[in-house]
Amino acid sequence: MEKFLSVTLDLAKGFGTTLQIFGLTLLFALPIGLIISFGSMSKFRPLRWLVRIFVWIIRGTPLMLQLIVIYYGPGLIFHWDLMPRFTAVMVAFVINYSCYFSEIFRGGIESVPKGQYEAGQVLGMTKSQIFFKVILLQVIKKIVPPMSNEIITLVKDTSLARIISVYEVIWNAQVYIKLDGLIWPLFYTGAFYLLFSGILTILFNLIEKKMNYFRG
Amino acid sequence: MKKALSFALSALMTLTMVGCGAGSSKKSDSDFQYITDKGKMIVGITDYAPMDYKDDDGNWTGFDAEFAQAVGKKMGVDVEFMEINWDNKFLELNAKSIDCVWNGMTITEEVTKNTSCSKAYVKNEQVVVMKSDKISSFKDAESMKTLKFCAESGSAGESAAKDAGFDVTAVSAQSDALMEVASGSVDACVIDGTMAAAMTGEGTSYTDLASSIVLTTEEYGVGFRKDSDMTEKFNTYMDELKADGTLTDLAEKYELSLAD
Repeated sequence: MEKFLSVTLDLAKGFGTTLQIFGLTLLFALPIGLIISFGSMSKFRPLRWLVRIFVWIIRGTPLMLQLIVIYYGPGLIFHWDLMPRFTAVMVAFVINYSCYFSEIFRGGIESVPKGQYEAGQVLGMTKSQIFFKVILLQVIKKIVPPMSNEIITLVKDTSLARIISVYEVIWNAQVYIKLDGLIWPLFYTGAFYLLFSGILTILFNLIEKKMNYFRG
Repeated sequence: MKKALSFALSALMTLTMVGCGAGSSKKSDSDFQYITDKGKMIVGITDYAPMDYKDDDGNWTGFDAEFAQAVGKKMGVDVEFMEINWDNKFLELNAKSIDCVWNGMTITEEVTKNTSCSKAYVKNEQVVVMKSDKISSFKDAESMKTLKFCAESGSAGESAAKDAGFDVTAVSAQSDALMEVASGSVDACVIDGTMAAAMTGEGTSYTDLASSIVLTTEEYGVGFRKDSDMTEKFNTYMDELKADGTLTDLAEKYELSLAD
């Protein structure tokens, strides 16, 4: 019983790191993702292609590889000082998730009928007025289900941080296997992930309900 | 609006690429100089008793940890232990996130190819571990060929088992290998003798496992960056620590045998 408590505390500490990665990634990747989505829809062709190639590279390679490249790459290739491990994790996660989010945003924005823009123009609204006052809320409503999918994936992807020795919950659990031959802490981490993604699921359901008052 | 966004986006992408470059360091040819200038030596380790492990207060201790502290004292630098992902040890070393790999590392071809390795400091054996009630039925390597084995991926134990012609499954850590044997998913595993002695038998988590035959003997070394002048310095420090009895005391304390 005492062991159970100390393991729970230790795993909770690791899960704190997990939550940090999760929260900070969302905080930065959502706005950056929106900006990238504008880039990938830009009328300026070179920019559009540049952004799409970038998104292809990021979505087309494993996050694990990106972590290794971002953390070790600067030191190996350019002999620069390395950034702190946690920073490297954040950079990799934010870039990776921005790209995924950008495609969700793009899907949402492009699904709004052209007529809405035209109606806005007829009413004499500026382009940014149309986007923020007419389009954005409809986009948000449309992207909640795919977003919740991606965000719940993010909860579990955080476990990759241990590749570059950022000690999150699974690392902490594996220490018990190495030192005490205890396997159950590893399975126990599942409870932490389940609990947290459960909370997120309820939250997303609430948001979907809230958005029900208008039909996009 | 669009133009401003295009500009912001291009600026952002440029920043991401350039930003990583900020704070690049001056390069010095001498690795020893680099470490002493920094004032600390970062030692790449894993949690691996009896070489490096945490005491009750959470401080690193063990044969390698105490040995590293002694070397740090001689160099006049602080020693910082960094728990790394063992698979990335050479990446860590070359990217300079650590200054040496020092964690009961067997001197293999892989190690000498990727690091500038010190002289051997401890001898070790690769032993077969199986359930103690089975040991009497399998007296030599030949008779074990019918058994299923596991060993840590890329370890000395794995190559020893392969060389012996065993049917080996690779797992990610030596401790996992022990767990596989305990759970019965394989019949036996090949791991370090020091670890087998520390983790099997009375008073451990694996009371019903025991060491069987010795497959190979090997030696531990400390890996520094390729072409590093630290290796030579280290070898000198090690000779001094051997001569004044520090290493002999440590070997006795942790029940290891020093290399000749």
